Amino acid sequence: MGRGQEVRGGGGHVLVSSLGQYAGFLPALVLYGVFFAAPLGLIVAYSFWKVVDYNVVHDWTLDNYHYFFSVSTYVSTFWATIWVSLVATAVTIAVAFPFAYWLARYVPKRLQRLLLLLVILPFWTSYLLRVYSWLNILGEQGAINRFLQWTHVTDRPVSFFLYDRPAVVLVLVYLYFPFAALTLYASLERFDWDQFKAARDLGATSATAIRKILLPQVRPGIVTSVIFVFIPILGEYLAPQLVGGTKGVMIGNLVVNFFSGAQYTRGAAAALLIAALIVILLVLFRRSLEVKDAYGA
Amino acid sequence: MAREAEIVSPRAGLVRGLLAGWAGLVYLFLFAPIALLVAFSFNANKYGTFPFTGWTTDWYAQVLHNYQIKDALYTSLKVAALVTLISTAVGTAAAFPLVRSRLPFRTGIRVGMTLPIMIPGLLIGISLLVLFTGTFHLQLSPETAVIGQSVYTTPFVLLIVAARLQGFDVALERAAADLGANTFNRLRYVVLPLIAPAVFAGALFAFTLSLDEFIITLFLIGGHNTLPIYIYTQVKFGITPEVNALASLLLAASLILIALAFAVPAAVRRLRRVTA
Repeated sequence: MGRGQEVRGGGGHVLVSSLGQYAGFLPALVLYGVFFAAPLGLIVAYSFWKVVDYNVVHDWTLDNYHYFFSVSTYVSTFWATIWVSLVATAVTIAVAFPFAYWLARYVPKRLQRLLLLLVILPFWTSYLLRVYSWLNILGEQGAINRFLQWTHVTDRPVSFFLYDRPAVVLVLVYLYFPFAALTLYASLERFDWDQFKAARDLGATSATAIRKILLPQVRPGIVTSVIFVFIPILGEYLAPQLVGGTKGVMIGNLVVNFFSGAQYTRGAAAALLIAALIVILLVLFRRSLEVKDAYGA
Repeated sequence: MAREAEIVSPRAGLVRGLLAGWAGLVYLFLFAPIALLVAFSFNANKYGTFPFTGWTTDWYAQVLHNYQIKDALYTSLKVAALVTLISTAVGTAAAFPLVRSRLPFRTGIRVGMTLPIMIPGLLIGISLLVLFTGTFHLQLSPETAVIGQSVYTTPFVLLIVAARLQGFDVALERAAADLGANTFNRLRYVVLPLIAPAVFAGALFAFTLSLDEFIITLFLIGGHNTLPIYIYTQVKFGITPEVNALASLLLAASLILIALAFAVPAAVRRLRRVTA
């Protein structure tokens, strides 16, 4: 793709053609049209098609959804996914908020960037390895158990932590903490602490000042971080797979199982349920997101 | 800053201390698993876990002599190189109109372009799987994985280069044009040198993300292995010290690449300031 064209367009010069201005989008348009938008559309279509003799037939039907909601384990997995995502998101924000508050308020400006960089660093390492590293700790042969046996606290492995939902939540919090810390810090960093002081001078307690002055102003940041954490967790596959076992299954695992069993249409329907949850979430929070503009953020 | 002016009551001091302690725990939480992983990779214990029975580099030697790992490394590097090429070209090209043209839905396009980062990789993976096998009847291969990864990495390049272009003074380019530079020369001597550090950083990010990418690759690579896929197949059979060693190497590679991506543009800026 000739990049000269965009430059010509952008430079606002004689050679400008109104089309040349957009030429730089062309490769991206092809990449995202053919390999992102079209396949997602295809998944939508698949979820309403059916399989006859191992072939996908373009007959429109709700069968795949009926099937999903007729199997009780799938339905309970559906609710469990929402539940786990809610809990993991809440815990992530609860851990990240005091941290971001501390970073924005008490740490000297020059150190803030470095400390923030340290938090984001794990994000740039392998996602698989971040989950795997917990297997090293939680598993029956993992660090906790080995350590307990080594120090003779117990003589038998405790399988208390692994292969259940608490382990999944723990690892999810670990995976998505950087997202939350980053977005929360970004909004806390813009906050004018003099307003906080003014509220204190006028007799408000710290708690009141936080509730009435700070929280309303950083609410858009909280909403953004909720979205950034909740959305990827809804489609999580690896964490429940590796540390959740059979008790920690989420929709993502069902989707993978359907696809590896070549049940494409059913898998597509399950995947679309994830997408539907994401859309619902975005619609729910649309109002709060718009508040962002009101604050000029 | 408000900090200095604040009156520090004992209670405020306590809150501050508690918050600092909390932050300390957060860093422990973030880095302990990774630190343990690396520690175990040097542990002589053949179960790859506690207790520490001695220091060894045997597991690293095993990694270097494992032909499956060599294969996976080769595939990983090939895929990452192609992904870097595609996403750097596509992302950089798209950054220009995104920043400069007067598009009616620029914010909308910007949000749309970041969608592949936001939505679960699982959805990208399965939807491309359906497209490639169901519609195009293609054989899955490292090349199909390249396309899937590029969908995910390109927005990162786009955002990084767009951020640099935003701070770019268009007057410089106009001046070059007024002095008679044609489009090619303006691009070659004015625009590219100025955005080169950002393009380079974007390329490094894309390379690192590709090297570490797991879920999209899992669906699209077919019978081949990249390093993360190889590790995944091994993990199913339990933890081994060899995988710990391989994981440590992969971690080190990511960290070095990311350090470069952050350090190089900063260094170039400093150098320019000195020479200017």
